Amino acid sequence: MTQPEAVRAEVEAMLALVRDRYGDRLAPDELDAVRTAVEGLVQAARALRAVRLDNSSEPAQPFAAYRAEP
Amino acid sequence: MSADGLVFTPVRRLAELVRERRLSPVTLAETFLERLERLGSRYNAVVTVTRERALEQARRAEGEIAAGRYRGPLHGIPYGAKDLLATSGGIPTTWGAALFKDRVLGFDATAVRKLEEAGAVLCAKLAMVELAGGMGYRQPNASFTGPGVNPWSRDAWSGGSSSGSGSAVSAGLVPFAIGSETWGSILSPAGNCGVTGLRPTYGRVSRHGAMALCWTLDKLGPLARTADDCGLVLEAIAGCDPADPTTVDRPFRHEPAPAADRRFRFGVLAGVTDGCEPAVRENFEGSLEVLRRVGTVETVTLPDLPYDDITRTILGAEAASAFEDLIESGAIRGLTAPEDRYTPYARDAILAKDYVKALRLRSVMAREADRVLAPLDALVAPGRAAEAPPLTAEVRSAIRGAARDVMGAVGNGAGLPAVAVPNGFGPRGLPTSLQFMGRAWEEGRVLAAAAAYQARTDWHERHADDLE
Repeated sequence: MTQPEAVRAEVEAMLALVRDRYGDRLAPDELDAVRTAVEGLVQAARALRAVRLDNSSEPAQPFAAYRAEP
Repeated sequence: MSADGLVFTPVRRLAELVRERRLSPVTLAETFLERLERLGSRYNAVVTVTRERALEQARRAEGEIAAGRYRGPLHGIPYGAKDLLATSGGIPTTWGAALFKDRVLGFDATAVRKLEEAGAVLCAKLAMVELAGGMGYRQPNASFTGPGVNPWSRDAWSGGSSSGSGSAVSAGLVPFAIGSETWGSILSPAGNCGVTGLRPTYGRVSRHGAMALCWTLDKLGPLARTADDCGLVLEAIAGCDPADPTTVDRPFRHEPAPAADRRFRFGVLAGVTDGCEPAVRENFEGSLEVLRRVGTVETVTLPDLPYDDITRTILGAEAASAFEDLIESGAIRGLTAPEDRYTPYARDAILAKDYVKALRLRSVMAREADRVLAPLDALVAPGRAAEAPPLTAEVRSAIRGAARDVMGAVGNGAGLPAVAVPNGFGPRGLPTSLQFMGRAWEEGRVLAAAAAYQARTDWHERHADDLE
């Protein structure tokens, strides 16, 4: 599968998910706009995946174990 | 001082007059309340004028000052708050959305409470793009109060998303305002309206009581006439808050003005003006000439990373979760901008793995940005790539991927402070702006740099003359 085909396939798979969940609420022109938005999100995700990170590269997040006092 | 002079006077000067009892806080509040009531609707800048609360606070301030209990430079000074900050006393908090136009939360956001403790006078809840623009709007008409109108041209946009905060300061309806920024929502209206806007470091100002669009990107900050005024306001609202666990206990003390002989070291990202309108580029070059009088300017580079994609993915995923109820229930059908009623459905396409990857890359981005910024006082860049768009035009937004904004993606993604100041005008007579971005917790440095620029220019002293 070429890269454009792979992108198209991913967009269609994601759009199928969105259509399955919300399709009954969306007019055809709205679905077209959602498709454009999904294409943007897929392109962004693929740009993120293209960057290789070491196993030790942790997410920037502030989780801390919680314990109510005392 | 004439009423016209008074309403465009910086907070610093108003505070002197109030402290010396040459200006009554009640008179000051009445002056701005009258303008908010008379001119607010012209700019679609106001949701609620809080007259009763304002006069009560102003009378209290007047009594305290008369009794020798002066609280500091915001004592008796009117202000407006973006309408995503909770307010008590039966004042609605609408988030700019028709869905919530009558909603009353019944408590004060921490920032509002801190301003009350500083003696400031809440005169209005200010208009904003619905849900702070988090639903993917593409046009200025994306608020139940109408499109934010720019005081410099009633055909142009003031936003967004802190549209009313920008236009109200610009039009002399309040001396300062509180806005919020997830990506661009303080710097953009400040730039469009020709005022000064400060985006503090993430964690500097408590978000308690503020609408959550994106928990790890949302920041609250001031818009005012000068960098000095922004520093005064930041000092009042900054600080650790147990109600917001992301706030950090790092004291902020605003220094009034940098020493006249202070030298700065500025960086400019290679290619930062690519995609900017010619007038924006020209004004930026002019600004660099001014900055070279107070320091050095060097070109710097960041490693090649998908900065816009990192911040956009985080914003999209967290906004989808923050507003899950509205989206899943279909309540977004009640929003003003047609595209806000369906675009959020697309965000179900963001995979958890990709969101976590964005968070991992965010750590890399933050380290790289700090490495570049460490030897500098600030990175400088155009505040916006273009003049404010016409009210009927599509809004170019990096959040949707319709434009590139590396400074915004890195600055917001890494939680870095930035201040935008006016630096000229474009061919349509609308302001352009210059931004200074610094290392985390270095608001003092970026404000000092901005103050040095404003000491050598007069763009911040100008205001539109079509205001009566």
